[in-house]
Order: sequence, then C-alpha cells, then structure tokens
Amino acid sequence: MKPKKNRVFVVVLIFLLFFVLRSTSVYGEDYSFDVSEIEKKSWQFGGYAEFSPVLFKLNEESSLYKLGFYDKDKKSNIKEYNFKVQLEGSYEKGISKVFIRTNSELTNSYSEWSDETAIYEGYFSLKPSSSFRIDIGKKALKWGKGYAWNPVAFLDRPKDPDDPELNLEGFIVGCADYIQSFEGVLKTLALSSVVIPVYEDINDDFGNINHLNFAEKIYFLLYDTDIDLIFMTGASITGRYGFDFSRNISTNLEIHGEFAYIDDYQKRYTDDYGNIREEVDDVRNYLFGIRYLTTHDTTFIAEYLRNDAGYKQDKMKDFFSLIDTGYEDYLVDGSHSLLNKAINIQGKYGRNPMKDYLYFRVSQKEPFDILYFTPSVSSIFNMDDRSFSLSPELLYNGITNLELRLRTSFLEGKEDTEYGEKQSDCRVEFRARYYF
Amino acid sequence: MPRLITVPMVILALLMTAIMVVTLTIPVHASDDDSQLLKEIDRNLNPESYESYRKLINIEPDGKKKEYVLFTVKKGTDKIASLFISPASEKGRSTLRLGDNMWLYIPNVGKPIRITSLQSVVGGVFNNADILQLDYTAEYNVEKREDNEKEYLLYLKAKNRSVAYDRIKLWANKTDKLPLKIECLTEANMLIKTLYFKDVKDFGDGIVRPSVIETDSPMYKNYKSVIIFAGIKKRDVKDEVFTLTFMPNVESLRSHGN
Repeated sequence: MKPKKNRVFVVVLIFLLFFVLRSTSVYGEDYSFDVSEIEKKSWQFGGYAEFSPVLFKLNEESSLYKLGFYDKDKKSNIKEYNFKVQLEGSYEKGISKVFIRTNSELTNSYSEWSDETAIYEGYFSLKPSSSFRIDIGKKALKWGKGYAWNPVAFLDRPKDPDDPELNLEGFIVGCADYIQSFEGVLKTLALSSVVIPVYEDINDDFGNINHLNFAEKIYFLLYDTDIDLIFMTGASITGRYGFDFSRNISTNLEIHGEFAYIDDYQKRYTDDYGNIREEVDDVRNYLFGIRYLTTHDTTFIAEYLRNDAGYKQDKMKDFFSLIDTGYEDYLVDGSHSLLNKAINIQGKYGRNPMKDYLYFRVSQKEPFDILYFTPSVSSIFNMDDRSFSLSPELLYNGITNLELRLRTSFLEGKEDTEYGEKQSDCRVEFRARYYF
Repeated sequence: MPRLITVPMVILALLMTAIMVVTLTIPVHASDDDSQLLKEIDRNLNPESYESYRKLINIEPDGKKKEYVLFTVKKGTDKIASLFISPASEKGRSTLRLGDNMWLYIPNVGKPIRITSLQSVVGGVFNNADILQLDYTAEYNVEKREDNEKEYLLYLKAKNRSVAYDRIKLWANKTDKLPLKIECLTEANMLIKTLYFKDVKDFGDGIVRPSVIETDSPMYKNYKSVIIFAGIKKRDVKDEVFTLTFMPNVESLRSHGN
C-alpha cells in the first residue's frame, strides 16, 4: 500500500502547487509600457531552475533491470529527485560578443546523491556585418530539420526523442557563417564552414584524436523550401554527406526530411558470450516527417526514421541474452564477468538502437478555453520489434516565467524487445521550471 | 374617386428611397483608387521599413494578464522579424517571416523551425500572422468599398490560400486614413476576431498612428488581447537580417540607446 500513498501524495502536492502559484499571479485591469522594459544592456544574464521528482515502476523481469540492479536491493519502484540549474550570460560590445551557458544537475536516486556541472556552450563571436559572423568556442550547432531525430546532425550529440527540446552540450569548434539574400526563386544562400579539432582533452569523445576535421553546410531558401547540403571530412570519423529540407505546403501543413550517407561506418556489437564484433559498411540514414495543424488547434507531428546504422533484432537478442546469462552466473557463483562485458558495451545499445522507428505526437492547444494549457501524447514505436513508449503529458505555462509539466510514460514490449527490456515499464514525472 | 396613389408614384417613391439609402452608404466596386487607398492606410500605419517595440498582453476573463515585449524590424512588403525581449521564459525567441514562409527560433531548441501562420507562439487570441503582420496590400486585394460620411469600409480578399484570413473588413477614418476597426473572417464570412485601433499617438518623424490595438474573438469569449506600441521609427536594415542563419542574432540589431 505504501507506493499508492506516495502517488496520492505526489498528485496532491502537484495540485496544491498549481493552485497556490496560480492564485498568486498578477491580476489587474490597467496596462502600461515603461521605456525601461526595452532598455538594452551590454551584460545579459538569465536561465532557469528546475525541480523534477520522478517515480519509476521497475520491470523486474527485464534485462536492463537485471544489469542495473543485480547487486542492489530488489525494489518494485524507485523515486528520483532531480534539481537542475541552467545559467546563461553574455556580454556584447560593438561587433563582438561573449556567450556562456552552464548546466548543473543534482540527482538523488536510490538514496544516493550525484551531481554534474558542464559548460554546454561558451564562445566568442565577431559579427563585422549582418552577412558575416565568426564563432570560436564550444557551441551546439543543431543541424537538421527533424523534430525527434536528426540523422544529419553530424556535429551534435544525439538528442533525446523523449524530450527533443532540451539543450545539448556542444563541441569546441570554429565556425564562420556567410549569408547572401536575393530577389527571385532563390531568396537566401548561406554558407556555414566549421572546423572541429579533436585532440586529447579537446572533443576527445568525438572520434580519433590528433586530427582537424572540417564540415560545410550550404543553405538555400529556394522555391519557398529550406534546403541544406552538408559535407563532413576528417580523420577523426569517416566521411559524411547529408541533405535536408523543410517546406510549408499550406497555412497548416509542413513537411520535412533528412538524408545522411556515412562512409565506412563502424558498427560494434556483442554476441551472446560477450565477444565484441565489428562490421564496417556504408550506411544511409533518413527521416521523413510532417507537422499538421487542424482548425481546432490540434497539432500532429509524425516522423519516420530509418536508422541504417542500427541493429537488427538478432543483435539485440544477443545483447539481452548476454545480460540474462551473466545475471544467472552472478546468482550461481557471484561472477561479474559477463555482466561487466554487457556494461562496457551498453552505451552502443542506448537510445533507439534499432533500424526503423515511428514518432508520433498530438497536442491540443488550450482545450476547454484554458489558456496556456497544452495536453499532449507522444509515442515512439519500434517497427522492428513492435515495442513502444507512450507518454501523455500536461503542460501549463500560464504563470509568467513558470512552466509546469506532468508526464507519464508507459513502455510496452515483449521479451527481447527494446522497450520490453527497459529498466522500468512506467514512469511518472512532474517538472516545475522557473525562468529568470 | 380618383386614385391618389398611382403605380408610377409607388415606383418613384421606391426609387427615391433607394437613392437615399445609396447616398447614405455608397458601395463602390474595387478600383485602382481603392488599392491606392489601402496602400495609404498601410503607409499611415507603418513606414515600409521600420523598427518597433510592442507589448502584447493577453487578458483572461478574471483579469489575469500575461505580457510579452517584442522588438520588430520590417523591410519592404514581405520581410519581418521579431524578437521576444521579455518575459524571461520567452526571451531570445525570434520569429521570421519572408512572404508566406514563417520560422520560429527558440534558444533552447537552437535551430529555426518552420511554423504556420495560423499557429500561435504566444497563445491566446493572437496568432503568428497577427504578430508578423505584413502590409495589407501585400496579402489582400480590395473587393469593394463602402463610404459613409466619416468612414471608409473596405472589403478585402486574400490574394492566395496561404494568407491567414480569407476575408477582412477594414473600417478607416476618412480624415487621417487610419484603421478604426478590422474584422478577420473566414471564406464563409464567419468572424474569427476583431481588432480595434485606439489612442492615436505621434511617434515622431511623421509617424502618427494608433498606439493601442485591442483584439477579441468569438472563439475566446471574454478573453482580450492588446498590443501597445512604445516606439516605432523608420529603419532600413540589410536583407540578410531576414534569413534563418541570422535568427539567433536579431538581438544585435537593438541599439544600446533603447
């Protein structure tokens, strides 16, 4: 009965917080516009602070539960408390600007505290004209047009399709943007040239060290369509070529797509005995998506991802078998050997590791005349093993600078499937984020 | 008995009544003059290229308000970009419109995404087309005009299907040729929202225009949205400002004097 009590407590807390904050917001009939509100300062400072308690209902039969909890007390659910502060500041003088964004997280999970602080972005900019800009430092470039996935984001860390709008940590780069506008069917041409150094302690998680790598993005606004051509070369990773587009078909329908070709992609995987194997092959990843708005303000986002670099079902089964065998060995004689092998390669089987995925999100703006309230449901469906996640969400941002989000995720799948073997099969998360 | 009221008399009476009605409200079919009038109304509202500071206020039925402050630059007939200066949760967001193309840049997301004119980045009665309003002449043709003693009433029809409102009825003052009221309608003449232009103010440099625009909508009963102009002045920026690549840098267009 205890978990039930906890759940009731969390729900009551959320509603109390919601109504207390709502009742303390500003009311009044008069409106004014003071000139001080538009004053520009050389220094700017801002960011947000966030608190998010999460309740996980664990799937005790799953492989990843066994891998994560084999040497811990058995539990059917765990609570996690996350505190996050993201700070950003800038200083602008003439044509130059310095910008920094830091991210600090403090987490209490399984009665243990952990913390992490990272500089997400920090760079120096020179902008001699509105056509030309140079940035040097740590920067997240975020290339691509997809909402949940970006196969052409060669210079970015992969984003979380469960929360695609989160900030990402960048890489240290030097980049130059040149923009030219035209009259006619070609309205804009923009060139972005990027140098990414990979050395010891500089972007060393990007690829092979002691090399300089180069990337180029050419953007066209042609026939009212955004088009990017992307190239990347260097010895840290193999050559990559990409293409993306986005276009409004009508006032309420947008289509987009991405295509990426990677030369000699090295795919590492394990067999069910923990032997690491490697395959080298050219891969073609692509994505196609739409965003559609109905007359009732319902927005649909749908995307299909072909992740050619991903694993087939037999490779995933081998990984899960390795864990299950390792767990049995541990129970029999306390041996960690196979489980350690699984832990070492676990990162390769992380977020959406298989080949074909569908993403779907439907959100309703301000239903029942409740201003600033957006309920939504999003889902990721693994087409290869037919497992999926389903996440209903309630978002309210009617109080100035405060965003409240309540989200539940259900993970469903059979044995040896991606979502069926996740650590938890349900999670409830409340997030309160205050911007300043 | 002689007939006092004859058929010709009835016809004459009807004719006179019709003439009286017609002289009170004269429907005039669209002409080059009407297009010119709409152009004049556009120019009286804004210079062709300008920068402005606006505050958007959404007011709920219980009086609760949410405010947004925007910096906007517009160039020519089809280019406009806006930057959210406050509140903190929206700060740094920018929107761009190039003809029928619209994008939203959110600093957290880090890249511009295409949006549609009917979506709303601020919630409430305003949609993206209201915030990134181009000249009416750029999007609408004048179908017909009606005049009375003090006002013009222009019936506007969208030039193509990508325009947010199929039809617009625009009432303008005859003396200063500034809008008084605008009704935004669907193809079937269903009212979507009404804009009321108030408090004409001299912003300097020959710009005299309404400083407050109130909006209500039958779709949001008892809700109201207001735009207040704090400043508007002529400014010509380069075309390259109105590009996706420039969207994260709109802030750099604001001068430290503001």
